[in-house]
Amino acid sequence: MDNKKSNQEIDLNKRDFFRKTAALSVTAIAGTSLISSNARADDPAIMHHVPWGQKWGDPITKNLYGIPSAYEHTVTRRYTKLLASGNFRASIAVTPIHESMGIITPNGLFFSRSHGGVAHVDPNEYRLMIHGLLEKPIVLTLEQLKKYPSVTRTHFIECPANGGQEWRGPQFNSVQFAKGFMSSAEWTGVYLKTILADLGLKPEAQWMLAEGSDNSEMGRSVPIDKVLDDAMIVWGQNGEALRPEQGYPVRLLLPGWEGNLMVKWLKRLEFATEPWYAKEETSKYTALKPTGIAVQHFYANEVNSTVTSPSPEIPWTNLKDGDIVEIEGLAWSGMGTITNVDLSLDGGKNYVEAKLKGLVLPKSWTRWSYMHTYKKGETLLLTSRAIDDAGYIQPTIDQEVGVMGVESVYHRNAVETWEVTATGEINHVQIRS
Amino acid sequence: MFKLDRKLIISASVAVTMAVLTVGCMQNGAEPTGVSSVNGKVTIDGGVIYPVSNDKTGPYYVNPQVAADAPEIFNGRAPTANEIKAWDKDVMPDGTGLPEGSGSVEDGEEIYEAKCVMCHGDFGSGGGGYPSLSKGNGEELQKTLTNNRWKDPQADGPTRVFGSYWPQVSTMWWYIRDGMPHPFSKSLTNDQVYALTAYMLNINEIIVDGEEVDDEYVLDREKFLKIKMPNVNGFEPKIDGPNGLDNVRKFYANAANFGAQNLNQGAVRCMKDCQKESANTKRIQGAGISAFTPPMSTQRDLPKSDKAEKKIDPKAVYANTCSMCHSAFLSPGSAEWAGYTAKGMDKVYANGIHGTEGGMPAKGGSDLSDANFKLVVDYLVHGK
Repeated sequence: MDNKKSNQEIDLNKRDFFRKTAALSVTAIAGTSLISSNARADDPAIMHHVPWGQKWGDPITKNLYGIPSAYEHTVTRRYTKLLASGNFRASIAVTPIHESMGIITPNGLFFSRSHGGVAHVDPNEYRLMIHGLLEKPIVLTLEQLKKYPSVTRTHFIECPANGGQEWRGPQFNSVQFAKGFMSSAEWTGVYLKTILADLGLKPEAQWMLAEGSDNSEMGRSVPIDKVLDDAMIVWGQNGEALRPEQGYPVRLLLPGWEGNLMVKWLKRLEFATEPWYAKEETSKYTALKPTGIAVQHFYANEVNSTVTSPSPEIPWTNLKDGDIVEIEGLAWSGMGTITNVDLSLDGGKNYVEAKLKGLVLPKSWTRWSYMHTYKKGETLLLTSRAIDDAGYIQPTIDQEVGVMGVESVYHRNAVETWEVTATGEINHVQIRS
Repeated sequence: MFKLDRKLIISASVAVTMAVLTVGCMQNGAEPTGVSSVNGKVTIDGGVIYPVSNDKTGPYYVNPQVAADAPEIFNGRAPTANEIKAWDKDVMPDGTGLPEGSGSVEDGEEIYEAKCVMCHGDFGSGGGGYPSLSKGNGEELQKTLTNNRWKDPQADGPTRVFGSYWPQVSTMWWYIRDGMPHPFSKSLTNDQVYALTAYMLNINEIIVDGEEVDDEYVLDREKFLKIKMPNVNGFEPKIDGPNGLDNVRKFYANAANFGAQNLNQGAVRCMKDCQKESANTKRIQGAGISAFTPPMSTQRDLPKSDKAEKKIDPKAVYANTCSMCHSAFLSPGSAEWAGYTAKGMDKVYANGIHGTEGGMPAKGGSDLSDANFKLVVDYLVHGK
C-alpha cells in the first residue's frame, strides 16, 4: 500500500498543483485587465474531477416530492417586522422577484399574506356553499367542484399595498420588498359563470359575498360584473394543488384585481342586492385622498412595472467597461394587456422604447428587456413605464400624488427609479418635482 | 333549467362589439381584443375585458361546448335550511344577520381586559403589534382624515381607527364575532360581542341616537341599528342602493378619480423632455429598512447545518415574537408576573407551552422546542 499510491491520492496531488498554478497566476496578473489566453490560469472547476462526478448521486427513491438545490437556499420569501402584525398571522412574506424567471412564480416562493394565519383545510371536509339570490342554492364537495369543465389561465396576484410603504419617499433598498408583494401562476379551476349557469341567478343579485373558512373568516363583496366575466374558483396552481398559503384546497380568483379580494380557503358565496361592508373593504383596502374621502372598492391593480435587473439585489458592480448588459424587468396590469414598456436612463426625463419578450397575456406579468452598453463609471437613473391596452400609462410620482396624496397606502403605481452609482451599486430613489 | 339571462345579454352584445372590431383589423382566428364596454355599460373596474369570440378569450382557446351556452351542470346538492343557517351569519349595515342580544359597556370592558388588552393595549390604544381600536373622540378624529404628509413630512397624518374611519358599526360586530380574539376566534357569545361593541363605542366616544355611550350603557339590537358612524359619508364611489354598481362603473371610467393616467382620456406618452426643472432625486432617509428575515443574500452557498438544535437568544425571540403582545402586558421582568409565578414556574411554563384562554397562543405561535421555549419564559419573567 505504501509504495503504491491510490488514484485518489494522485488526483489530490494534481489538485494541489493546479491550486498553486492558479494562485501564482492571480498574483502575476493582479492589476491587469488584459490577459492573453496563454497567461490565464486554468480554471480548477474545469481541470479537476468534481466530487459529484466521481460518486453515486442520490437514488431516485429520495425526495419523491422534489426540493430545490441546497445551494438555492437564499432564494426564499422574506418578511420584515415592519410589516408584521398579529404574531405574523396578519402579515406578509414577499417574493424574491429579483430571482424570478419568466412569468411564473414557483409555488414555494409565491407571496404569502393571511389575516388569521395559514389554514390547513382537510379536503375531505371541504364544502363550498353558493346561496342567496339563486333559484337553486348548492353545496359542493371538492370532488364535485372539480367535475365542472376546467379552464387554465396565467395571472398575477398582487397585494394592493405593493409599494405602499413608499408614498412619502423610498424606504426599501430592495426590489423584493419594494415590489415583491406579488407573484404569478398558471391557475386551474372553473369559471364561476359556468357553475352559476344552472343555479338560476336572480336579476336583482348585484353583489356576491366571498367568505373564507380561516380563522379570520376573511370576506369581501364582489360586483356581479366580475362574477359573470372572468371570475374563477381555482384549485390548481402551476400544475399542482394550491399551496396552503394560497388557500388550499380552493380560492377565488378575480384576474387583475386586488389580491385581498381573491378569498382563500373559500367556503361560501352569497348573492344579494347590497354590498356587505366587510372589515377588509372598509377599515383597510380603502385609499384615503387629501380630500378626506377614501376610494373604496378599488378593484383593479393598475398598470405597473419595475426593473428587476439591475436592482439593489442584483448590482452592476462586476461589469466591465463596454459590457453589453440586459436591463430586464416586469410589467403588469390588472386592467388589460401590456402593450408597451418605455425605459428612461435619466430618471424619467427622456424615454426610449424597451422590448417586450415572451408571452404577452392579459392581466399577467409581462417580461421586457433593453440592451445597454455599460460605460465604466457612468451614473444612471433607470425608470420603467408601462402602458396597457385599456390606455393606461403609469403616472409620474407627481401626477399620482397630485390626486391621491401620500396617505392612500394602497394602489401606488407611479414609476419607480433605480440609481446606478459610479461603482455599479443600485439604490432605490424617487424623482419628484 | 334556469337560464342565466344576463350572460346571454353579454354574449349578444359581444357579438356586436366584435363585429365592429372585425370591420377594422380583426381577421378570422386573430386574438379577440379587449373591450371597455359591453352593451353600453362600461367595465366595472375601468379596464378592458376579453369577450369570447372565435372560440377564444384573449389568447386562450375555450371549449365552445362550455362557453357558448353553458351546459346546465349541477354537480352538488341543495343545502338544507339548517346548513344555510349555520353558515349564513354575515352581518350587514341594515341589520340583516344581526341576532338579538345585549351587552353593557361595563361587561365589555371586563371582557376586553381579560381577552383583548394584551394585544390591543389599554383602552384600544394599540402598540402591541395589533391595530389601535381608539385614539379618542371619533367625531373629532374624523376631521384628521384630510391630513396629508406630502408637503410637510413632519405634520400629523390622518387617524384611521374604528371611531374616526369605519363607515359601518356592523363591520365591527361581525368581525369581533368571527375573527376575535385573534388566537381563539368564534369563541364569544352574541351578548359578549354586543358588550365588546358597546365598549368600542364607549372608548371612541360615539354618540348613539343622541345618547352618550357611558359605562352603564347597554347596547342591544334596536339601539345598534340607530348607530351612525362619523365617517359614514367618507367613501367614494357610493356603492349602496340600486345605482350602486352604476356609480362604481362611472367612477372608474374617469382615470382622474383614482390618480390614473389614460391615453384615451387625454394623457400623453411623453418621450422627450418630460420633466420640470424642479425635478430632484429623493433618497432613502438614513439607513432605510433592511431588517429582513432571512437577511438579504444572493449567494449560492450551502446553508449552515441545522441538525443540532440551534441555541436561541431569548431576547431576540422576545423582540421578534413575544413583544407584539408582551410589551403591553407581562413585559420582561414586569411586576405583573408575581401573580402568575406564585403558582410555580411549572404552571407558567405549561400555560405558555399549551396556551391559555386569556389570549396566550401555544408557545406564542412559535415553533420552539419546549426547552428553548422555557428559556424565553425565563427571560420574560426575570427580564434577563
